[in-house]
Amino acid sequence: MRRAQPTNRLRLGVAKSLFLVMILVVAGRAFYLQVLQGDDLMRLGQRQHLKEWTVLPKRGAVLDRNGEPLALSLESQSVYVRPQRIRNSAAAIRELSRILKLNAAEVKQKFQSDKPFVWIKRQISPAEAAQIQALAIDGIGMHYEPRRYYPQGQLAGQVIGFVGRDSEGLEGLELRYNDYIRGETGSSVGERDALGRRVLVEGVEGLQIPPGGDIHLTLDTSIQHLAERELEASIIKYRAKAGVAIAVDPRTGEILALANYPTFNPNNYSSESAQQRRNRAVTDSFEPGSTFKTILAAAAIEESVVDKEDLFFCEYGKYGYAGRIIHDTHPHGWLPFSKILQVSSNIGFTKVADKLKKDRYFKYIEKFGFGQPSGVDMPGEVAGLLRRPESWAAIDLATHAFGQGLSATPLQMTMAYAAIANGGFLMRPYIVRRALSPKGEVLVQNQPHVVRRVISEKTARTVASMLQEVTNDGGTGTMAQVEGFDVAGKTGTAQKVDLVNGGYDPRKRVASFVGFVPAQDPRLVLTVMVDEPEVNVYGGVVAAPVFQKIARGALRHLGVATQAPELIPMPAERLETAPRRAPRRNMQTVVDAGAAPDFVGLSLREAVEKARNLNLKIKIHGNGYVIKQSPGAGGRWDENGILVLTLQG
Amino acid sequence: MKTKAATALNLNPRRAAVPKVQRPPRRVERRQSRAHLAGLCALGLGLFLLGLAHVWLRLQVVHMGYVLSTTSKLQSRLEQENRELKLELATLTSPDRLEAMARKRLGLVPPGKGQVIVLP
Repeated sequence: MRRAQPTNRLRLGVAKSLFLVMILVVAGRAFYLQVLQGDDLMRLGQRQHLKEWTVLPKRGAVLDRNGEPLALSLESQSVYVRPQRIRNSAAAIRELSRILKLNAAEVKQKFQSDKPFVWIKRQISPAEAAQIQALAIDGIGMHYEPRRYYPQGQLAGQVIGFVGRDSEGLEGLELRYNDYIRGETGSSVGERDALGRRVLVEGVEGLQIPPGGDIHLTLDTSIQHLAERELEASIIKYRAKAGVAIAVDPRTGEILALANYPTFNPNNYSSESAQQRRNRAVTDSFEPGSTFKTILAAAAIEESVVDKEDLFFCEYGKYGYAGRIIHDTHPHGWLPFSKILQVSSNIGFTKVADKLKKDRYFKYIEKFGFGQPSGVDMPGEVAGLLRRPESWAAIDLATHAFGQGLSATPLQMTMAYAAIANGGFLMRPYIVRRALSPKGEVLVQNQPHVVRRVISEKTARTVASMLQEVTNDGGTGTMAQVEGFDVAGKTGTAQKVDLVNGGYDPRKRVASFVGFVPAQDPRLVLTVMVDEPEVNVYGGVVAAPVFQKIARGALRHLGVATQAPELIPMPAERLETAPRRAPRRNMQTVVDAGAAPDFVGLSLREAVEKARNLNLKIKIHGNGYVIKQSPGAGGRWDENGILVLTLQG
Repeated sequence: MKTKAATALNLNPRRAAVPKVQRPPRRVERRQSRAHLAGLCALGLGLFLLGLAHVWLRLQVVHMGYVLSTTSKLQSRLEQENRELKLELATLTSPDRLEAMARKRLGLVPPGKGQVIVLP
């Protein structure tokens, strides 16, 4: 026992040393791997099981005032080639050019590239993508990219604008509101398995990249379509070069429609010309011509320089002023001011401007918003050209009186007329109501904004009544009449400046009509401008009928009740064929001031018509035929004087 | 005798330094070592079970990761499908197309005078 002890100790010592060495070796190796090589090895390891996934930006939608989509984004696929990996390039080129309808030579050129990665075609259709996937060629791959679609095609194309391949807004509202609708690009690192599939062991938080917000416009798709259709028809009929139609709600400044011709389809933006892309309503300014006389009329009446009934001598069509001769289209003698506007006498307005003087006139031109951008939320707006009165020659007062020597955008003209329509307030126009985040938070909101009061309500009413006479018999704008409504407006036939030879081009004209309807309680201000019509150049012939057609459809769409029910005859055929459940009672009941007339048995249409004729306020419940009324026939009216009709059937 | 005397006189200094300890009986010793062994086994088993639980949880996490990944893909696909359908609906109901179809296929025309009455 005693002899074995030293041996054991030795053994123990050896074992200890051995273990110590081993531990030291392991620790050293661990130190080497963890500390010295740690970062590199971790990177190598992560490359094996971690992958960075890029989350593409989800661009928000553009919607009209009723929620109709005008622009939407979808994920589409783009095809690429890694030329070094291709084995049978001839077959791959043949198949790809067949599926993608590409020139085989072009595809071949891409296959011969020295680059490791070459795009074959970006943003292909889902059907093409499926066919390429079925080929399963090594070296041909697909990458997801967002693609913008405009489901309404050319509808409001210039207004909406378009985005580039990288999902950045390039023009129109896509550009103006890009920051709100773009959405964020992000990336998230996640684990992947041996097959490269993503395993979301860390949850989905990393994927929650906020998408872009939706923008809700003030545009109404139906009115926009109507405006574009009628504008195009007129331009084709009169062989014009271009045109603009704008519809605005004068009470708020909301733009309901903004049509441009030539049209532009943002789905094919790369193949359309810059001329087509231009939103002429804000980017182009024209000499407004006679439509500008309304501004002078409002200024002169506001300043009490003239009254509606003041008489002016119109020199029978020829008037010498500041060394020049001013002409009228038709010769006139003595005319009241309202008639001067009705027949659009240049001589009459020259005399009015002469009474007002240039400084006061200029003050109102500026107050009506000319010479400065309207502040509309669309890119590229110009201010128009307006010279200060100090630089005016003597003749300039006369030319400014009938809308020459200055230029304005169609939108500026529309807003100036809107100020007359709404009782004297210049409103800031806007086309985007609000931008909402996907969670429903309001990112930006536009609300009616009064820029300034321009004229008094009394002056506005007086000018509106004068403008109404323009569309009545004897005026220049009779073709703008809308059945059932009073229309106030003014025609314009402006000469165009000859940019080559100077002065005015003898043949080129801009035909326009600007007006509002219903004249007493305007719901719609409409500007129609047709550039260089050939068949006929007069605003009253070329632009006024477009106004009429757009206004008629738009008022019907907006549900504005007609002012003159007697103009609406009952459709005879419909009455004869309409089924009846109850016998028609006496339709000719004369309304007794104290007794309610009999409505029972009438159809909804007949009841509404009768109520209209008798000027009664009615409240309707149900559909079909009147089965009950309150107060009953011959009964006494209650305090509010409303006839409640219950319908059934 | 000598031993006794030595013990009595405490002559051996080395022995004298170590007080004599009463060793536990062999049975008690065996019981204690069994208890230690059982404790060690329990600890080992506990560690083993903990390891198993860890592995099971890890597998569950991976499994749920797959499920989440599949669901996330399904969600993306359905969202894409929803957008495609919205696009298709908007294209099919565009005013231009509706008007063309109403005119050509159904022979409709814009309403004439009196055919539209706006209710008060």
